Amino acid sequence: MKIKAFWRENNTLLVVALILLVLSVFGSSSMGLEPFVRTTLSGFTLSALYFMVAAGLTLVFGLMDVLNFSQGSMLMIGAYAGWQFYTNPTFLFGLAPLAFALMAGLAMMAVLHPVVSNWRIPEQWQSRLRALIIVIAVVIGVLAVVGLDFRGLASTAMVATMVAGNPLAEATPQEPLASFWIRPVLLLLSGALIALAQARPGDPTVVVHKDQTRRSGMVVAGLLLLVVVATLVRESGPLAVLTMNGNLRFVLALIVGALVGAGLGAVIETTLISPLYVRPLYQVIITMGLAFVISELIQLLWDPLPYAMSRPPAFSQPGKAENIWAFFRGGNTTVDILGVTFPSYRLFIIVLGVLMFLGLTLVLKYTRLGMIIRAGVQDREMVEALGINVKRVFTLVFALGTGLAALGGIGAAPFVPVEPVMGDRYLMQGFITVVIGGMGSTTGAAVGALLLGLARAFGDYLALKFSLSPAISEASTVIIMAIVLLARPAGLLGRRE
Amino acid sequence: MVEQDFILEVDAIHTFIGQFHILEGVTVQVRRNSITVLLGRNGAGKTTTLKSILGLTPPRVGRVLFDGRELHGKRAYDIAAMGIGFVPEHRAIFRNLSVAENLRIAERKKGDLERKADFIFGLFPDLQRLYKLPGNHLSGGQQQMLAVARALVADNKLLLIDEPSEGLAPVLIEQMMEAIRELSVTTTVLLVEQNFLMASRLAQHYYIIDDGKSVHQGEMADLIHDEALIHQYLGASVRVDTGAPGGRGGGR
Repeated sequence: MKIKAFWRENNTLLVVALILLVLSVFGSSSMGLEPFVRTTLSGFTLSALYFMVAAGLTLVFGLMDVLNFSQGSMLMIGAYAGWQFYTNPTFLFGLAPLAFALMAGLAMMAVLHPVVSNWRIPEQWQSRLRALIIVIAVVIGVLAVVGLDFRGLASTAMVATMVAGNPLAEATPQEPLASFWIRPVLLLLSGALIALAQARPGDPTVVVHKDQTRRSGMVVAGLLLLVVVATLVRESGPLAVLTMNGNLRFVLALIVGALVGAGLGAVIETTLISPLYVRPLYQVIITMGLAFVISELIQLLWDPLPYAMSRPPAFSQPGKAENIWAFFRGGNTTVDILGVTFPSYRLFIIVLGVLMFLGLTLVLKYTRLGMIIRAGVQDREMVEALGINVKRVFTLVFALGTGLAALGGIGAAPFVPVEPVMGDRYLMQGFITVVIGGMGSTTGAAVGALLLGLARAFGDYLALKFSLSPAISEASTVIIMAIVLLARPAGLLGRRE
Repeated sequence: MVEQDFILEVDAIHTFIGQFHILEGVTVQVRRNSITVLLGRNGAGKTTTLKSILGLTPPRVGRVLFDGRELHGKRAYDIAAMGIGFVPEHRAIFRNLSVAENLRIAERKKGDLERKADFIFGLFPDLQRLYKLPGNHLSGGQQQMLAVARALVADNKLLLIDEPSEGLAPVLIEQMMEAIRELSVTTTVLLVEQNFLMASRLAQHYYIIDDGKSVHQGEMADLIHDEALIHQYLGASVRVDTGAPGGRGGGR
């Protein structure tokens, strides 16, 4: 009975494993071991990248029914942010005070609410007043950044990458504090005005709890502190970052990339997605539009060029490590695995992907947030009926998804070109991954990513060997998707009816 | 202080779902520490009434007062957090969560479950044995008990229970009735129940909802003898005096 139940619950996984096993026995005997191992490892590397995009997609779709077409752009933003931070963080340090100031303003909503909800405003004027406030906020926001040399800031890392000389030799175009200080102040005001409109002055029906107000107050205070610190370290910060140990700088870049992605995700969810839960089609369109906007903005700042971010020192000592232990000591560019010379950084990507999967699985299984997500995937209404603020969970999960994609982006940056089309490329693969694995399933996303990555790698190998068009390997992913959907319309591990 | 007697006052609410006018004036008052039952045919609007109270389908017109506080404009999670537990129909437990997690997720303060564990397992001893099992391994009756237990984890002043006897074997209905009677000692229950026998033996007060309107109300003791009224609103199949335990009443 036990075996039967085990089979019933895991049959899809077992069948997939069996197929992969048969294929690998067949492949290794016909290809020869060396090319087989090499191709398999390349496949795993791609799998890890696909999973990083797909994890957020499937999580967000499973819980919130939102198809986030800007998920690929989040990977791209992570890549750009990490590349900037690692190569020359002048741009990030220049914008940080502005971003924190805007966020501090926006976070004032719950603080403002108890004050403004009692204002006596005739009902017919309330919506007009809100519109007026928003218009003023936008005007102030635009005024705040007018004249700021975005491209000058952005070009620092660009130059550093292309010249490959000493990045510190480049003149930093940071504005002097005497003229800069007004910008964060104006953005704070702009954010606060938007928060004021969101707090719905004169409308006493919106409920904000006391502890929520207190918590927001602390968040605002923390952000204001960050604004001040960020404003002060604008000019000295980049230097400090660039002179620190390269490996540490890379780890920090990973963290910064992920945080930028998560923060952006939280802002996108609260401002663009959450008003549209009643109109799912509009959400699709708005995330699609967002992807275009992000891609254009990036081209505006960094030109439509591909950049190669250099690898951190731990992966860049010339020569081959004899085995994995030798690599840990030497930090070589390549490492010997089962007789195959393989780039060590690609191994890092595989490890990062596996860690992400394990981390996500543990969070889903053992934390309260994970419990709420699993419950919400099945029945959102009931979760809300238990007294849980599902809206806040949505924001968190969306930010988690975009943060994971951004982390994947910075992880990938030293090994794929950092360019404005990378968003679209990975979005497509991410969607195919999720469809194969089953919408809403994290394990499904991992299995789908594994299949896709291997198909891509072996497709490339076969195309090269028989001098076919490389389009074969691109088509293979779609063919796999078609076969899976014919056999299991809900995807391999999808449970939706 | 007459007002203090009622923990819940629903005053002429109208609820729309999409463009459908589902509730067209429902008024319900629930006394503290009592069991009140909503009766009526299928599709009369009983479930929608519960969901309107909780803000899952917010009423467009009318007023809901819980514990003396106006609920208009509040979100469902705010209303629930004020102390309302909800046991939906079709035993909506989380099937992919274990029994333990189904209870744990209902905590509003840390340690809620530990505080209430003895009470809950006293009512439903089975759940203690099933504690580690995933929800989809439970039988229908066990799922229903878990759904009720879940509403007991947090400190709720009012429980909204929708069709607890639905699809249960007679012996389980008895056990469920006993549990609901026992928990009504410490809290208040608003029940939706098609099984008239169960409803009549549990509840002290009743409201009849017909076609989206509350049309009749009173003491359960009086209704049992009013066969004409029962016949008019609840259908011909209700037989109070000779009904076997577990026989479904109020069917069409």
